[in-house]
Amino acid sequence: MTERFRYDLVALVPKLRRFAFSLAGNRQDADDLVQAACEKALRNMGQFREGTRMDSWMYRIVQTLWIDDRRRAKVRGAQVDPGDAHLSDGGKSASLPESRMMLAQARAAMADLPEPQRAVLSLVAIEGLSYKETADVLEIPIGTVMSRLSRARETLMPRLGFAKGPRQ
Amino acid sequence: MTGKTAVGRALLDAFVDGELSPEDAAQVVIHLADHPDDQAYVDNLMSANEYLAQSFGAPLHEPVPAALRARIMGRSEPATVIPFRRRPIGWVVALAAAVTGVAVLTLQPVPGERLSVGPVADSGMIETALNTLASGVPQEIGRATDLMILATLPVADGFCREIEVIDRTAERLELGLACKRQDDGWIVEAVLSEPLSASASDGFAPAGGTELLGLQPFLDRAGAGAALQPAAEAMLMADGWNP
Repeated sequence: MTERFRYDLVALVPKLRRFAFSLAGNRQDADDLVQAACEKALRNMGQFREGTRMDSWMYRIVQTLWIDDRRRAKVRGAQVDPGDAHLSDGGKSASLPESRMMLAQARAAMADLPEPQRAVLSLVAIEGLSYKETADVLEIPIGTVMSRLSRARETLMPRLGFAKGPRQ
Repeated sequence: MTGKTAVGRALLDAFVDGELSPEDAAQVVIHLADHPDDQAYVDNLMSANEYLAQSFGAPLHEPVPAALRARIMGRSEPATVIPFRRRPIGWVVALAAAVTGVAVLTLQPVPGERLSVGPVADSGMIETALNTLASGVPQEIGRATDLMILATLPVADGFCREIEVIDRTAERLELGLACKRQDDGWIVEAVLSEPLSASASDGFAPAGGTELLGLQPFLDRAGAGAALQPAAEAMLMADGWNP
């Protein structure tokens, strides 16, 4: 189990770094977070049940550590590195200036969201988890996932130049 | 939901997020055909998701950092990960041309003392250099030999130092790895030797050149970490190499 666990964890690292980046708002803090999460996972390897989803287990560890860290630091708002805020994904997905600007705006808007909303939006919209999986990771009711998601989008959409929602 | 009936935003969100059953999703698709505003909202939501994914997607296109991979796999971080040590540019060339004005101190050569594998002779020039010479400072030994410590690297039970000796008479460059573990004295664990011209031929000495790569297996086996910064190295020397 040990070797397999380690290999699976390495394979998950890119997604964990993306998730941590979306939470922390800058690459350095994100990588520190992922490293701490991996170390915690290795220490608690015995608690991982084979056959269950390691990504959900790891997302939970990353998110918990992030919240703990934020509580300790008592910092308000994500620390967005100016370099990161304007950094695209290396030009792989956005070659037009407008697109790059949009990506920077998305990062900035994400950083301005309250942390609980940011975590939900990241898990659903970026990591592609279902509401139920998100609820399990964050250990909150599914209804709370939906309401946080709704509020997060209400804030985010106008920041990206989109209307808030359909006319009712 | 179908026809002209307005649907709630939560339902459209759920549709975009893939939360609906195939049947309900199909109903939404039919609904959207008659409701351009809702269709626009769904399109925007999908675009927003895409922007978010791209905004934070850079790590997916990068390799797993070597240090983190090593940590997860339970291996020592290879010393290659942080190649701090670098030889001052021009050091080999300058010495090959016998320009030795940069030397600060002159050690007394000990007849017959060479950089060779095994315990370092007590009170010899090599031991003195290992004990007291800061990394990156060229040292003249006699008239035709120069020595420099390239780096100090922590290992599990002590420290290793990379030591380079240039013998202009023999026209050889020797690179050694000397380690001091616990209470033992310095022991040279590996020596690489090559013609001086091989290192100086390009007109400069590459930082971390081929000779340094040659020491890599020994450093890896020792579990060497990143080279110490000058201040940390100076403290170690002041404390007699007791961490």
